Amino acid sequence: MKKEEYNINFKVPESYFETFEERLFSKMAEENFPKTTGFKIPDHYFENLQVQVLNEVETSEKPKKVIQLFPRKYFGYAAAIAACLILGFTFFNTQHNTSQLDSLQFAAIDTYIEEGNLSLDLYDVTSYIEDEDIANIDLDAKYFTDSSLKEYLLENIDTETLINEQ
Amino acid sequence: MVEEQELVTALQTQGAKEAAFRELVAQYKERLYWQIRNMVLDHDDADDVLQNTFIKVFRNIDSFKGESKLHTWMYRIAANESITFLNKKAKRHNVSLDNIKDNAVRKLETDVYFEGDQLQLQFQKAIATLPERQRLIFTMKYFEDHTFEELSEILETSVGGLKSSYHIAVKKITEFIKTNETL
Repeated sequence: MKKEEYNINFKVPESYFETFEERLFSKMAEENFPKTTGFKIPDHYFENLQVQVLNEVETSEKPKKVIQLFPRKYFGYAAAIAACLILGFTFFNTQHNTSQLDSLQFAAIDTYIEEGNLSLDLYDVTSYIEDEDIANIDLDAKYFTDSSLKEYLLENIDTETLINEQ
Repeated sequence: MVEEQELVTALQTQGAKEAAFRELVAQYKERLYWQIRNMVLDHDDADDVLQNTFIKVFRNIDSFKGESKLHTWMYRIAANESITFLNKKAKRHNVSLDNIKDNAVRKLETDVYFEGDQLQLQFQKAIATLPERQRLIFTMKYFEDHTFEELSEILETSVGGLKSSYHIAVKKITEFIKTNETL
């Protein structure tokens, strides 16, 4: 069979034929899966949901009554104390330049995050990171030893995906 | 049905916001519910996550810049909320995410809001073995008929990567069902 006769004007996506079997067998396997989930919902759930969501939003939007912790007459004293504190901090901080952050151990930060004290999920975090930031990360070898990197990759990378994504 | 762009404009305009939000909830409540339910399995949990999703949409609509489509953005919030919910639940009960999924799928056997047969139950058990992101990709594609292109926008992943994850998921589910069918 002359292969050239069939592909004069048409092209196929890259790796189309190489991955054809995979897609075909996947499709055939899918044919045997149930078509529905079997999940049910309570009667009138969606009608009631509308009301519930709107109530919830209204409640969270209503301005709450503010109770003054300090009556206005004390504002003058409070401002004077605050000014003294700011001046005091500025003065004493110029005496010591060493940052507290340096002494904060990475392990302590890890534990803080692992214990769920930082209420951000992976997607929230990644949404704040630009490509440029990733390029600028200084991956200092002292933080990641070869063995710990290897261990991390073995545990976390889906090799099949890696191979398929090339 | 109100066009999406009109809806966004109304949602970002004081005075029109509440009516537009009402319309938004009416349009998307069912689609988002099923996406979430496929992840958390339990109806009450799905209800919680769905309400949180809409509240998050309402609170953040002013910062929505239209870089993606409104519905894409909402599906993404629902996906993130579902995964965050499962992680928080695991943390709260001090167990692993796998434990949470095992329990949820085991509870289906006595759940009044599950009327699936043995095959459907086995199917849910198989899906529960997938890693979270793969489970999301599989359920959104298989049950909700999203195209890979739509999924690529929602999950911000390449079409090639999604296809590959989907096929791996199908393979894992098939193997699970095959291994467990005689049990």
